[in-house]
Parts: sequence; structure tokens; C-alpha cells
Amino acid sequence: MLPRSNGGEQVISLQKRSPESAISDYKSQGCFLTKPCVHCGLPTPVHCDTNPAAVFCCNGCKGAYELIQGWGLESFYELRDSSQQNRASLDSDASFDVFDDEEFLGPSKPSVQSDGWLQTRLAIVGLHCAACAWLIENVATRTPGWRSARVKMSNHSIQIVFDPKTIRLSEIARLLNRIGYELAPYIDGDDQAFQTQNRKLLTQIAIAGFCAANAMWIAVALYAGDATGLAASHREFLTFIGTGLGLVSVAIPGRTFFVGAIASLRTRTPHMDLPVALGLSVGSITGIVSVILGRGDVYFDSLAILVFLLLIGRWIQFHQQHRAAKAVDLLLRITPRHARRLTGDGAVAMVLAERLQHGDTVRVFAGESVPADGTIVRGRSLLDRALLTGESRHVRVDVGDSVEAGVVNLQSEFDFRVTAIGKDSRIGRVMQSVEEASAGRIPVVQLADRIGGVFVTVVSILAVATFAWWATVDLYVAASSATALLIVACPCALALATPLAIAVGLGRSAKQKIYIRDGATLGQLAKPGTIWFDKTGTLTEGRPSASLVYGDQDAIVLADAIERGCKHPIAEAIHGLARRLCLPVRTPGNEIEGRSEIEVADVEVADVEVGIGGVTGRCDGRAILVGNFDFAQSHAIYLDDSTLQAADSCLKNSSSPIVIAVDGIAVTVLAVQDTIKPDAAATVSQLAKCGWTVGVLSGDHAEIVNQVADQLGISRDHCYGGLSPEDKLRHIKSLQASSLNQSSSRRTIVMVGDGANDAAALAAADVGIAVRGGAEVSLRAAPVFIATGQLSTLSSLVDASRRTSSLIHAAFATSLAYNLVAVGLAMAGRISPLLAAILMPISSVTVLSLCLVWPIYKNRESQL
Amino acid sequence: MSVLFIALPVAILLGASGMMACVYCIQNGQYDDLDTPSIRILVDEVETKNDSPKN
Repeated sequence: MLPRSNGGEQVISLQKRSPESAISDYKSQGCFLTKPCVHCGLPTPVHCDTNPAAVFCCNGCKGAYELIQGWGLESFYELRDSSQQNRASLDSDASFDVFDDEEFLGPSKPSVQSDGWLQTRLAIVGLHCAACAWLIENVATRTPGWRSARVKMSNHSIQIVFDPKTIRLSEIARLLNRIGYELAPYIDGDDQAFQTQNRKLLTQIAIAGFCAANAMWIAVALYAGDATGLAASHREFLTFIGTGLGLVSVAIPGRTFFVGAIASLRTRTPHMDLPVALGLSVGSITGIVSVILGRGDVYFDSLAILVFLLLIGRWIQFHQQHRAAKAVDLLLRITPRHARRLTGDGAVAMVLAERLQHGDTVRVFAGESVPADGTIVRGRSLLDRALLTGESRHVRVDVGDSVEAGVVNLQSEFDFRVTAIGKDSRIGRVMQSVEEASAGRIPVVQLADRIGGVFVTVVSILAVATFAWWATVDLYVAASSATALLIVACPCALALATPLAIAVGLGRSAKQKIYIRDGATLGQLAKPGTIWFDKTGTLTEGRPSASLVYGDQDAIVLADAIERGCKHPIAEAIHGLARRLCLPVRTPGNEIEGRSEIEVADVEVADVEVGIGGVTGRCDGRAILVGNFDFAQSHAIYLDDSTLQAADSCLKNSSSPIVIAVDGIAVTVLAVQDTIKPDAAATVSQLAKCGWTVGVLSGDHAEIVNQVADQLGISRDHCYGGLSPEDKLRHIKSLQASSLNQSSSRRTIVMVGDGANDAAALAAADVGIAVRGGAEVSLRAAPVFIATGQLSTLSSLVDASRRTSSLIHAAFATSLAYNLVAVGLAMAGRISPLLAAILMPISSVTVLSLCLVWPIYKNRESQL
Repeated sequence: MSVLFIALPVAILLGASGMMACVYCIQNGQYDDLDTPSIRILVDEVETKNDSPKN
């Protein structure tokens, strides 16, 4: 969806074309313009007289526009985001009747409410901004029988309440599809566990907050009373209530710390919970003793605040970690959830992919992904195996060939016999290795945990020592000093420092559109190591683009018409070129699907044959050939000198020439290449300057990989081509093993790639950075996802990691220094528990402000 | 000042009832999604009639 203002108007006159060209029968004469489609903004060639407010690139857009207008929801166009991410495809004309099938819906089966309405939760694809949520929720209220829709942006789901007597779920699905959103059954996954934990933490915070706030003002009353005088009965009453609140806080929300401390004792690993639990129990016991004896101070307010602040720190940490991780299952996103199973009598039934069995026959239509592994029993087609092999070239398959779950059928329908499903399929095994790689990773020992362990032990020993030392003098002073020490040495600031610094780092990164799942990543990226790039789609655009080198434009129209039948990337490149040059799009008349109004179905295409390296066919009675040089030569095409020269110049620019021949004579030469991203070279050199070793791991041919590396200034020693996803995983693992043996200072291994087909390597690397493939899926495998898709963001991320790392050190040093001084004073008996309780939050505030003012991203940063 | 003996428990009870309401909201799922409501509030609500769509 481009903003409408972007649609530049380009004037092309058809009259300038040579009269002999095949285009001459194009009926309309006159001036043609490209205008943006009113609904989606796609540049659309139209007659110059057309009203710009009535330009539509296809029927889908027109339909959606009319629907939105009809409902009076025009504000959608003002509200919507200009980005096109995650937009559901409009052209799928699949039957929606499956939405009335309970087996299809699986866990999303509608449940009957008490008033007879049905309620269900479904996953929704295509949400990307506030306008989407607004549009859907308003559409619901304007549709009879559809009572409500509640969109949840956080996990891309929608709750629908509808009246089964008035409307069926399939009609709702069709309606949403018409305005550009796709529904799918919702998979609960670990969302439930997250929700339970989230609610539990929030409840604890609410109770702790209540206790802390009330204990605080009671404490204030008591201290004020000390200064101005307070009746003994009032004092006793206030102390009693305050202690009660403190004890409630320790007993209910503070129980977590005791549970953690007991677990820590049992496993003999010092943990932050231990001194917290110790401090809480000593504080509570001395508090109770003081209340009963009626002398000395009580520390209920500091206890309650301690619990409250620690819980908040914990919640922030928990939320940051899970924010990105709450994604739908990667495996289920990649392979289709449903399959067309052929029954005995030849009929086709939709079933859930997981219900398929070994030996079933399944039909796959063109454009669909294969739901399981198997062997083709009928039909032939072209497959896109990029998901498994990373190869950009497409593979031709015939009866007897094997197909794998997740590959995309590009050309025509075929039937295959299932041999493996789900976890046993090849993609399933890759995904399993992803999970193992992420689970088997050595847990990153954070600085806080490392020092924290020592700290905990030291503080506990010191407290005991202080108590023992002072006990010889006075038991009351002993208890007071030990408590003061435990409170003042409370690892509150220490515990807050790291998660807070990381939370700030993650938050600022998210503003730069860098989504980080695992906070430890920032620490790892701070030191230079080795960084591996995937080629296709990471260093390059991932999509071949064609440009006209020599010859006639009109031949492109014919080539486009011939290539329309096959979904080869070269065909798409040629179609893209035709669009860019604003040539009229001519679709074969016999093709029904996907044709839109402005396309003219006046071409007769026949005898289309796809060979190795090219396509031949007849278009309007003329023999057309589109293909590479070898293909043209093998078909005895006449190539004149200028054609050969043009082809040579293509090869010099490391792009491959494509020849278009009409009636046996080469008329046009196109250069097709996968262009390198504009910021790739700058990023590579910047990373190298910071001390990183840069390399390439690619599934593409080694020769192409080397060419790209040369252009980017990457050493050929670090380039590996022709690798399958499994090879990449093996490569990363062997590097990790060798770097472990090699030296004491281990270098971080970073993998940058596509979230879907490099998933295993991304998960295995110390830090996986996905630059493509959808946020949810990518974050499953890789801890970092760069949504801008720009490589320059990568160097600013590395820079930010360094700054975050120094922030952690600074915050840590501050709180540690504070604690050391305070502990020293407490041991000397110089600090009363009251002073300790006042000092304690000050250290937290220091750390907090330090984190908030620390510059993490250099520019374009609005400081808090 | 003996009003304190009544006022303090009343205040605590009031606070506690607020806290209970908050806990109820949390358990009811009102704090599960902190992302959507923040953007939903930016959009004006239009008066709608459920039974008569305009088209």
C-alpha cells in the first residue's frame, strides 16, 4: 500500500510504437498514464481521461473500496499505515465453507454463549496498524448478526461473537477477506502459560503495591509522631496495623521469593532470591519481636516496598522476554494446516494436515504449499524449494518424484501419496533442530547473576558475622545492625540494574524497528566476533529484476504474455519490467484467474513449452522464444552483432542476459540480476572497521556468491556457496566448536539471514539476526528481527549493543559501590535500619535515572 | 484523635476494596493486552446501528 501521493504520472504514447509490432492491434489509441489505485496505491495504467478517484488495479480493490464506502468508513484511507507488511493476499478465491466445518476450526470451534450467540477466537492475518483494528471492529457492528469483534494486536487474534441464525462464520470470513484480512483457526500454544503467569505477577504487584503504599503513610505518621509527640495508644495502633500490612506483603506476594530461595538452597546455586528471603525473614521477625516487646523500630514499610519494587523489576523482565516469544508455532505457519485428501471415489475432502495418514493421497493446487512429504502419483509441476534448500532456481517434478512439506507448487495441480507428516517430515526435522538448538544453548550467564551469586553469599556471611560480633555487646544492637545490613545491601538496585538497562536497550531498539527477544543478545553483540550473512534476500534484494539492455519494448509485452502461465522468478522479473515501463498488460484469453479489468485479454497464446533455460510459445500466431543464451542458440535463433554485444555487456555486469526472439530472430536483450542491496557494501565495511570478521553462507551457486562477495569487499576465504539449510547449521556448529577449543576469549558467532529458511542456522548461532520472513516466525528462531529490512540498521544495532553494555556496567558499578559503602557503615553499627530503609530506594532511583538518560542510539532519538 | 481507631480501618478497607477490584480486573483478563487499547482510544467512535447497515 503506497501512499496515494506517491503515484507519479508517467506519460506514454502508444502512437510512437512501430506499426509492425504485435501491439498495433491494441484498440484504444491515445495517451496513457499510470495512476495509483485508489484502494491499494499500485501504479495502474489507465486512459488519460479516467477520473483519478476511480482508478482500480483490480476487482478486489474495487470491491473493497465500494464496501468501505458503503459502510461510510472512508476514514480508513486516512488512518491506514503506508507500510504493506503482512497484508493478506486479496486474490485467494478459496472456498470459505470450511469455516463452517468444526473439524477445520479445531481449537477455534465456536462455543455457545448463554444467550444462544456463538463465540470464537480466530487468528487474523493482515493486521498492521490501528486502522485495521478499527475497520474490522466497525465492520462487525454494521453487519447484521455479527455482534462484535475484538481485535487483539498483541497476538494477532480476533474474538468474534455472532448469531448462528443470521450469519455463518464462512460469511464473516468471506467479508473479512474482501477487505483484505484472512482468518485462520487460532492455535493456543504457550500463550495460555504466558497469560496465567502474567496475571499472577500482576496480581502480586497489585497486592504488594497496596500494602507498600499504606505501610508507607503509616510509617510517615509514626516518624512525624516521633518528632511532634504521639499518644502511646495511637502509636501502638499504627505500629500494629503497619506490621500487619508488612506481614501480608511478605506472606502473600513475597512468597515467591521464599519459594525461589528454597529452590536455590536445594540446588545449591546462590540466587538473588536468597538474600531477599533472608532480609525479609529477619526484618519480619525483628519487626514482630519489636511490636511484642514494644521497643525498637519496625521495618514493615521497607519490607513492603522491597517486595513491591522487586516484583515490578521481575514483571518488566518477564514481559520483555515474552513479548516477542508469544508467536504461533513456526512449523504450523510454514506448512499449510489443511490438506485436500482424495477419498476412494475420487472426491476431495478438506482435512487438517495433522490428521493425514501415511499412504493417503493428497491433491495440491497451483500456488499452494505442500502439506506433507510424499511421492507424486499424478501430474507434473514446478516447485519452489527455497524453504528447504534456499535455492532460487525452481525444480521441475514429475510422477515418482518426491515432494516435501512446505515447498510451494508453482505451476499445476498434482496428487501425491503421503510418506511422512508433521514432525517426521523433512521441514519438521529442521524445525526440531531449531528447537533443540535454542534449548541446547548454554544459558547466558548474565553479569548480575554471576556477581549476584557471590554477592548473596558474602552478604549472608557478613550479616551473620555482624550479628555474632554485636551479640557480644548487645543483642538489640546486633539484631538492628544485621537487619540494617540486610536491608541496605538488598540487591534491589543490583537486581534492577541489568534488567532495566536491557529493557531500556530493547525498548529503544524497538523504536528503531529492531525487535529483540533475548536481552542477553545485546551483551553478545557488544564485542566483535564473526558475522555470517545469507546471500539471497539478505545481501541482495532476493528477487531478480530485469532491465532492458537492447531492442524493442514491444517484444517485452509478448514475452510477458507467454510467461504469464509459469510462475518462474524470471517471468515475474519480466512482468515487473513491463509494469515499470507501463506497457499494456496482455493476458492470455484462456486464463481466467487473477485477471483484472484493465488487462486486455486479446492475446492468443498457444503451445507454451517450458524447457531448460527458457520458454517457447506462439502468441498471435508468431513464434516467441524467451530464454537464456544457450537456450536461444539451441533453438537456432538468429543473433546479430548488436545482440551479442548487449549480451556481453550483461555478463560484464554480472547479470545474466535473457533473449527474446520473435519468429526466430532475436529482437530484445534483457539483463536479469538479483541486485545487491544499496546499503550492503557500507554495512560490511563498517562492521569490518569495528573488528568483525564478515563472511557469506549461501545456498546459491558458489560462482555467484563469489561475485557478490567481490563487489562487497568480503574475502573469498569466508564465502561458502551451495549449502543446504542443514549444511549451514553444520557449518555454524563446527565454527562454534572450533572457537571453543581455540582460545580463551571466545568470539561471538552471528548469523544474519532469512527467518524462515535459515531458521536452524539462526537458532544455532550465538546470535541469530533475521532480516526477512515475518517477525513472529523469525523471532522463534532468531533472537533479533530487523523489521526495516535495511542492513544499515545492523551496524547501528552493533553500536547500540556496545552502549547498552557500558550502561549495564555503569549501573552495576553505581549500585555496587553504593552497597559496599552502606554495608561497611552498617557493619560498623553506624546505620540504623530506618536510615537503611531510606537509603535503599535512593540507590534504585539513581540506577533508574542513569538508565533513562543513557544515550543508546546516537541520532533520531527522543530522549525520555 | 481517637477517630483514628475508626478512620484507619475504614481507609484500609476502602483501599483494600480498590485493590480487590484491581485484582478482579487482572483475573478477568483486562490487563492481558496492553497494546491494542492504547491505539483504539485514538480513533473516534462512530454512532452505529447494528440492525441497519448502510449498504
